[in-house]
Amino acid sequence: MIRIENLFKKYGKKEALININISFEKGKVYGIVGENGSGKTTLFRCIAGLEKYKGAVSSDLGNLKNSLGLLLTEPYFFSKITGKEYVQLLSNARGLVIEDIEEKNIFDLPLNEYASNYSTGMKKKLGLLAVLLQKNEYYIFDEPFNGVDIQSNIIVTEIIHRLKELNKTVIMSSHVFSTLSDTCDEIYLLKKGELVKRVLKKDFEELEKEMKLVTIGNKIDKLKLE
Amino acid sequence: MKEYFLLQYRMTNRKFVAFGIPIVIGYLSILCGFVWGSEYLFSKIDFAEYIYVLFGFYTVSKLNNKERIDFLSSYFDKYYKLRVIENCIVISPFVLFLLYKGMFVLIPIMIMLVLLLTLVKLKNTFNYTIPTPFSSNPFEFPVGFRKTFYIFPIAYYITYEAIMVGNLNLGLFAIVLIYAVILSYYTYPENEYYVWVYKLSAKEFLIKKIRRGIYYSLLLSIPVVLVLGIYFYEEIELLLTILFISNCFLVTTILAKYGAYPNKMDVSQGILIAFGLLIPPIFIAIIPYFYFQSIKRLKNILND
Repeated sequence: MIRIENLFKKYGKKEALININISFEKGKVYGIVGENGSGKTTLFRCIAGLEKYKGAVSSDLGNLKNSLGLLLTEPYFFSKITGKEYVQLLSNARGLVIEDIEEKNIFDLPLNEYASNYSTGMKKKLGLLAVLLQKNEYYIFDEPFNGVDIQSNIIVTEIIHRLKELNKTVIMSSHVFSTLSDTCDEIYLLKKGELVKRVLKKDFEELEKEMKLVTIGNKIDKLKLE
Repeated sequence: MKEYFLLQYRMTNRKFVAFGIPIVIGYLSILCGFVWGSEYLFSKIDFAEYIYVLFGFYTVSKLNNKERIDFLSSYFDKYYKLRVIENCIVISPFVLFLLYKGMFVLIPIMIMLVLLLTLVKLKNTFNYTIPTPFSSNPFEFPVGFRKTFYIFPIAYYITYEAIMVGNLNLGLFAIVLIYAVILSYYTYPENEYYVWVYKLSAKEFLIKKIRRGIYYSLLLSIPVVLVLGIYFYEEIELLLTILFISNCFLVTTILAKYGAYPNKMDVSQGILIAFGLLIPPIFIAIIPYFYFQSIKRLKNILND
């Protein structure tokens, strides 16, 4: 379990996260939704310990970061590192030696080519593959479906289901509601740094309708499209 | 176009300010370093002028990466004019030095090569992956080696020359060249994710980095030291001393890098390292100092 208590994060005077209190249980998949700039990535970075914050983030496995697989929105790659070396680097960092990487390359990535030359979707898949091979207990996926093709989309969805079966904890964000409703047990709505709503699976449909109504409103009419 | 060059000038100035040195001193240091380096190269190596032309060409080619060229060509009408001026500015110190040396024949060749570069878009996206012996342990050495692989044959050739002409100093220059290149692998701080991801304490992390750095550096430098040791056996102590100091320098640089992490090394660290180079016994004090700085910095990011 990951427990977040009274978490506050400020950038200068701007409050990025305000009094976040939430628990993420084993064997569950959690979705975090919110507009751009609502604080999703900041929350993930705080959980990972990549940002300083006020409050507490704890896990039942002690040092959370050592059991956490973090897939960032835009994974960073060195200019001359191959896909295979990237996977090795992330595994070595956790003291693991991955054999038969090629066999585990379920996304058919060109692992012997430089990762920096990959397309956006391929980079995302490489990042995901590397994080999965680290054998973590907790996973944070920041927009895992971003730029990924339809076939891989299906695979990623199945991977998340499998992680749930394996009693792992998954926290993810996505800008495509259907990807969250297919995978999550609970969705949290983040607005201007505050968690304003917790929605259970049975109410996802209602949440989507509500979000559409609030988000779209009469905004498109203002464009006066002809 | 004028605005573009003014912007480049301002950006360069900002780099000096960020490094913590006055702008004038920054430009003067680069000028002095360039003149000293050029003089040193010409004084130590036969056919240095050819290496010099290649080095000038390489410097200009660094401006030629695909993303940069795409950006410039899409935003500037007088794109080719801009590239010609830019390349000429960068190559001018090399041309002036060749003029000073009276090597007039190479100047038009160098200018022609540089002008040709304005017509070429060097792609970063070519499919060939340069093989490296360091693939199993990313990232500093596989990445660094691929960027600088051509230096090592040059260093090994210089070693060969040193033996042919019986000049040990030339051989020592080859060792220094190898270590200078390796040190460049540790100049810039990596993205914090690449430190965060380690399941190690700060101390274990540093030991791992240092151990790997020394091991791979020795792989690249030992052939030179061995060959020189055979041909200049009476100077074996000097060779081993140079090798030892080079490794001390490497350890200091790794520790200084993480001592400033996630920022770049600043001028005070640069000065301390330079002192270490001038008076090697100072390493005894500098290494522990940087070590404790690094531990402090890394503890935060490794949640140690």
